Amino acid sequence: MKSLIELNNISFEYNNNKILKNINLEIKEGEKIALIGKSGAGKTTLISILNGTKRQTYGDIKIYGKNFNNLYNSQKRKIGTIWQDLRLIDDLSAEQNVNCGLLSNQNLIFTFKNLLNISSFHKAHKCMELCQLNSRIYSKNLKNISGGQKQRIAISRSIIQEPEILFADEPFNNLDPKLCDYLKNLFISRLNNYKIKFPNTILFSLHKIELIDGFTRVIGLKNGEISLDISKR
Amino acid sequence: MQKLKLDHTLISFLPILVFLPITYQIINDFHIGGLELFLDFVKAAFTPKINNQIINISITRLNETLFIAFTSWLISIIFGCFLGILSSDIFYKLIRIPVLIKYLLRFILNIIRSIHELVWCLILMQIFGINISIGILAICLPFIAINAKVISEQLELVSADLIESITTLNGNNFSSLITLIWSPIIKTIKNFGFYRLECSIRSTAILGLFGIGGIGTSIFLSFQALNFNEMWTYIFSISSLILFFKLILKQVKIQRINSNFILLIICISILITFYSIYFLINLLINNYYLSNLLLSKNIFLNFINLPDNYLKSIFDTITLSIFSSGIAISVPPFLLLISQNKYFIITLRFFAFIIRIIPPTIIILILLMFNEPSLSLAAITLGFYNAGITFKLLNDNLSEIDRNNYLAFKSIGLSNRSSWLIGLFIKQSKSYLSYCAYRSDIIFRETAIVSIVGSIGLGWQLKESLSSFAWNEVFIIIFSYSSIAIIGELLNDKIKSKLI
Repeated sequence: MKSLIELNNISFEYNNNKILKNINLEIKEGEKIALIGKSGAGKTTLISILNGTKRQTYGDIKIYGKNFNNLYNSQKRKIGTIWQDLRLIDDLSAEQNVNCGLLSNQNLIFTFKNLLNISSFHKAHKCMELCQLNSRIYSKNLKNISGGQKQRIAISRSIIQEPEILFADEPFNNLDPKLCDYLKNLFISRLNNYKIKFPNTILFSLHKIELIDGFTRVIGLKNGEISLDISKR
Repeated sequence: MQKLKLDHTLISFLPILVFLPITYQIINDFHIGGLELFLDFVKAAFTPKINNQIINISITRLNETLFIAFTSWLISIIFGCFLGILSSDIFYKLIRIPVLIKYLLRFILNIIRSIHELVWCLILMQIFGINISIGILAICLPFIAINAKVISEQLELVSADLIESITTLNGNNFSSLITLIWSPIIKTIKNFGFYRLECSIRSTAILGLFGIGGIGTSIFLSFQALNFNEMWTYIFSISSLILFFKLILKQVKIQRINSNFILLIICISILITFYSIYFLINLLINNYYLSNLLLSKNIFLNFINLPDNYLKSIFDTITLSIFSSGIAISVPPFLLLISQNKYFIITLRFFAFIIRIIPPTIIILILLMFNEPSLSLAAITLGFYNAGITFKLLNDNLSEIDRNNYLAFKSIGLSNRSSWLIGLFIKQSKSYLSYCAYRSDIIFRETAIVSIVGSIGLGWQLKESLSSFAWNEVFIIIFSYSSIAIIGELLNDKIKSKLI
């Protein structure tokens, strides 16, 4: 399998506190990684470094064999993120929020159409249906819907982007166990009836140990260091 | 000995002390020369002149007022949005152009905003002559800068996390920017835009007094002819217009704006933008007086030839704005403390409305019937005009808060006043003072309105310099106005940040 991401001696400091210490990691194409660890272990920081929103204090990171800043836009677009705090736009409707995931592949006209609520929501509806969202909430403003529904909207926004690599920070928060299992299997099997291309390589940070079932690799973080790295294959 | 600790409640009442010097001067300058005239003025309020001719004039003048106010409001919203985006931090986070542009733009907008529309109007009238388009331009200039500031402040509230989340989608930078700023801009226009329309109507009425057209011109002409009955008809007609607008805006609760309507607004905005730019270029190029003026030597900031009494004018202007702010801050809570009687409050509300509607220029001319022109007279005019606005805000906010504390204090035997003070007002004093700090910025700019008529301060000096085409003096006065306003605004920002 081709190596997609390489982390060499990555450290991250914030206010003189070492959040991550000398992380060495290689992520290969097609891997389904579960990142586990207690609160404050450094999971969110690691994901932020991987998606390029935080810069490591020391060390070197390569994605597709290049530094993050040297990646082509077309390569950056292949990377998706589901944030722990969702980061959706409260004043837009559910379908408009999901359509925002298409920003990477569309032009300015599409953006205006989406904000004016006159774009096509066909693909957004498919993704939301896939996440078992009820059609009644599609056009609802985010202020009027529950936490679990918002969580699935954030997941739908990442699915519509059709990334090759997906980083997710506790993506199954606020969901009941049945839905957690369903969505996890969707990402692992990548099988669906809607011809939506699911990410081939995923790294999900998880807070519940029982969710690691099905992942091909489990990485444990403790006090900013890798304490566990098991490949199931 | 225990130190005296000033809390927000006490600070709200303390400025009442400005009445000591003001009352002293007013009593000293008092005369009864205009008593008969004043009685005619009051009587006329109950017998406004109503006939076909007056109604026709009122309708024509109101149409003019609406045209000026609406056009300047629309242009200032469009350009305000555009410049607000360009001067916001978020724009430079997403679009890679030098940040220096932002600072330069903010500096220019601060200067434009610091000068009142009346001052702009007087300068523009001197250069381009009197016509409606000059009135529109004079209102647009500071209003664009005010709207730009409000929009850019709202855009600063977009969280860094959301920016991060949208940028990691790696879309086109403009698409990401528009997605992030869309909702805050729509929300600001919905909440703040309509209030600006009311401000625009008021400003049109004030500029009208200086000949720009609209109902203000009719009010001033009838006042000059001592035709008070006619003047009251015009005042009542502009009051009805503002009330009508308020009523409509209260009824129209926009939940979700139709997308076709937004599309139409965008198309109209683009057309207006192009026409405004064309109009401005045309105006600037075809004005020979302006080109000669700009080419003449030593008109910009030549501090060797200072206007007469320049420093005194600056001192008077600052004192005037301090006295007026003192009145505007302390009078509303003081009046509400006197009595909580329902009818008393209704009467206060009525007077607050009337005082907001009658342009301050007319108020000061009426007061001049009893008094010599003085700083105190100007301070009373401007102070009470603004007290009408601060009263409305305070009374509206007090009526919205929970009255349980007030009732609890009353039930344990406290007097009405004490219960109101510690059960109601104490909760509002902080936010009230914070708004007053913002209001005092506006009061400083408005000193121009009363000082032109009241023969004091920089406004009067400006009028004199403009009349004699002493452009060097005009530039020095504008520079002084702008500098003091910006320093005042910085001080008030510090006060506000401590209060919030």
